[in-house]
Amino acid sequence: MSKPSVGIFGLTGCAGDQLVILNCEDQLLDIAGALNIRDFLMASSDRDAGCDLDLALVEGAVLTKRDEAALKRIRRRSKLLMALGTCAVWGGVAAMDRDADRSKLLGEIYGDLGAGYDSVPARALREVVQVDLNITGCPIEKEQFLSAVANLLNGDPPLFPSYPVCAECKMRENNCLLIEKSELCCGPLTVAGCDARCPGLGVPCVGCRGPADDANVASALAMFQGKSVPREKIAAKLRTFAPMPGDRS
Amino acid sequence: MSTRITVEHLARVEGHGGITVELDGGRAATVRFDIFEGARLLEGLVRGRCAEDISQILSRICAICSVSHSLTSLKATELAFEVQVSPQTDLLRDLLYRGETIQSHALHLFCLAAPDYLEYPSAIALAADHPDAVRLGLRLKKLGNSMQEVIGGRAVHPVNAVLGGFGKLPSEDQLIALRTGLLQAVGDCDAMIALIASLPAADFCRSDTVFAAMRSPGDYGYYLGDEVVVLSNGTRETVPAAGYRSLTGERAVPHSHAKHSMFNGKPFMVGALARVMSNPEGLTPRAAEAMRKLGLTLPSGNPMDNNKAQAVELVQDVEYSLGIVERLLRDGLAQERPVEVRPRAGVGTAITEAPRGLLIHSYTYDDEGKIAAADVITPTALNAASIENHLRLAVDQSPDPDVPALRKKLEMIARAYDPCISCSVHLIQKLHAT
Repeated sequence: MSKPSVGIFGLTGCAGDQLVILNCEDQLLDIAGALNIRDFLMASSDRDAGCDLDLALVEGAVLTKRDEAALKRIRRRSKLLMALGTCAVWGGVAAMDRDADRSKLLGEIYGDLGAGYDSVPARALREVVQVDLNITGCPIEKEQFLSAVANLLNGDPPLFPSYPVCAECKMRENNCLLIEKSELCCGPLTVAGCDARCPGLGVPCVGCRGPADDANVASALAMFQGKSVPREKIAAKLRTFAPMPGDRS
Repeated sequence: MSTRITVEHLARVEGHGGITVELDGGRAATVRFDIFEGARLLEGLVRGRCAEDISQILSRICAICSVSHSLTSLKATELAFEVQVSPQTDLLRDLLYRGETIQSHALHLFCLAAPDYLEYPSAIALAADHPDAVRLGLRLKKLGNSMQEVIGGRAVHPVNAVLGGFGKLPSEDQLIALRTGLLQAVGDCDAMIALIASLPAADFCRSDTVFAAMRSPGDYGYYLGDEVVVLSNGTRETVPAAGYRSLTGERAVPHSHAKHSMFNGKPFMVGALARVMSNPEGLTPRAAEAMRKLGLTLPSGNPMDNNKAQAVELVQDVEYSLGIVERLLRDGLAQERPVEVRPRAGVGTAITEAPRGLLIHSYTYDDEGKIAAADVITPTALNAASIENHLRLAVDQSPDPDVPALRKKLEMIARAYDPCISCSVHLIQKLHAT
């Protein structure tokens, strides 16, 4: 079997998901051996910016017209397109307030020149092109990335959990921060896959992986409100990395 | 005759940037370090948010230096609320910072910069012919990441460092594993220095560079400190953290482009070389020896020496971190909880040394303890004017009119600064807006 041609790309973001790939120190050379990486600007100056690809891994959100054009070019080149990380899957922190007045903010942060910038409201990849696979997380979890690549190499679809962080938290037998300590923990609504990383450290989940399909939203919201947390605080917290269940996206 | 040299999309850096140089009669007529990273407006979007949310949101400015952004954010908020953390928290934050620096410098030296010197497009290509060198770099990088995982809870965007302290303290077993890794890294650092010393010389321009770095109150460190030292032609000036705007110009006036990131009218360099320049007596004997082996002499007028200074800091940080871990294992960790934080009105300006140089977070909190204003000044934004200055000098001082050779020199200079363009967007866009 010939090696699949792969491109790894970043739109606007922190480059953290590409960094997680480079952080697979023990597997990096094996990955590079199993894949034919043709276009990975963050790691290599030898790129083929036009070749057809079997798989494109794209991190970051669409925040400029340049991003949008780049994403559409990548889509045309690739058989499969995988969104990498919460920004690509959900919009991420730059999309935390989709109603914010961007031109006003641009002016406040960048002065008079802000109006001239190439800047559009943050969008997830699937709001711009068809996306075939999503690995969420801010950043993605190394193990999920490696198993997804291994699955794809074997011709299998990668599997990701649809249950919330709470399920993993219970498996680790952590004390519940929400019920026992009344801390605003986003675990009940946030998709698992991180092995309840934050609650495992005694720190409330901030929802960096985005919403879980199998969450019991009504029950979770009722529980938050039962803890006397102001409604707008709950909403702001839950919308930091991804839309709340029920939001447009 | 006018010629244009463009690097449309600079490879092997974090983020999206390029270089444009217009040559006129062998001299640089215009030089631009272009940034086309999108504006995420995070400083505006955090307004109205609670103190507990800020470090998690603003760490997302940059992945490679997410520890720096997190800890500088926590430090700024704690200053605003007049919270004093424990000496143990300071020590663990110091160790976390060193883990980040080891990770970042190893990534930069081995995966981003070294391929240039050895004429390879990437570390992966380099590994085909020099597998031991690449594996050495990956081992050091992994050690830095392990330190970030153990102390910070995650290698990218740490979660365990919170207002007032840490969520969970490292276990003895985890510290023992770190000690084992650090002991191996002491030997790896010798091999690393030998490797870096063997690379072909890179000397493309010279300048009387002005340097700026945080003044460490005690040892050579990245986290504790509240003053900036500016070194210029043998003089030292000190700027308190709260006076940081004298380093950045008045941000609200976008017309004075040339004044951004200038100190007394001169561009300045931040990062490893600036730190070594400002505090050479703080280096451990091993690090000082590494400096001699690399032929790094001070003062340095060659921006490529930033790579050597990073190698020196790798030696320094491995040795220093080993000392901290041994001390923690000997004395044990007090099982303390984070200091309680009471949000209130206040202003806090924190400076630290990110791997790429001086980082500033300045926050104003309102009466409800919510963010009223946030200002983030990143190392690459501070370096932007200096990068352009050195690109210009490289063109003007180059005896070689060969365009491909010159383009490579320009790329290597920009890369030597280890630019972090996701970070820099917070200021630099103003320089090159059209």
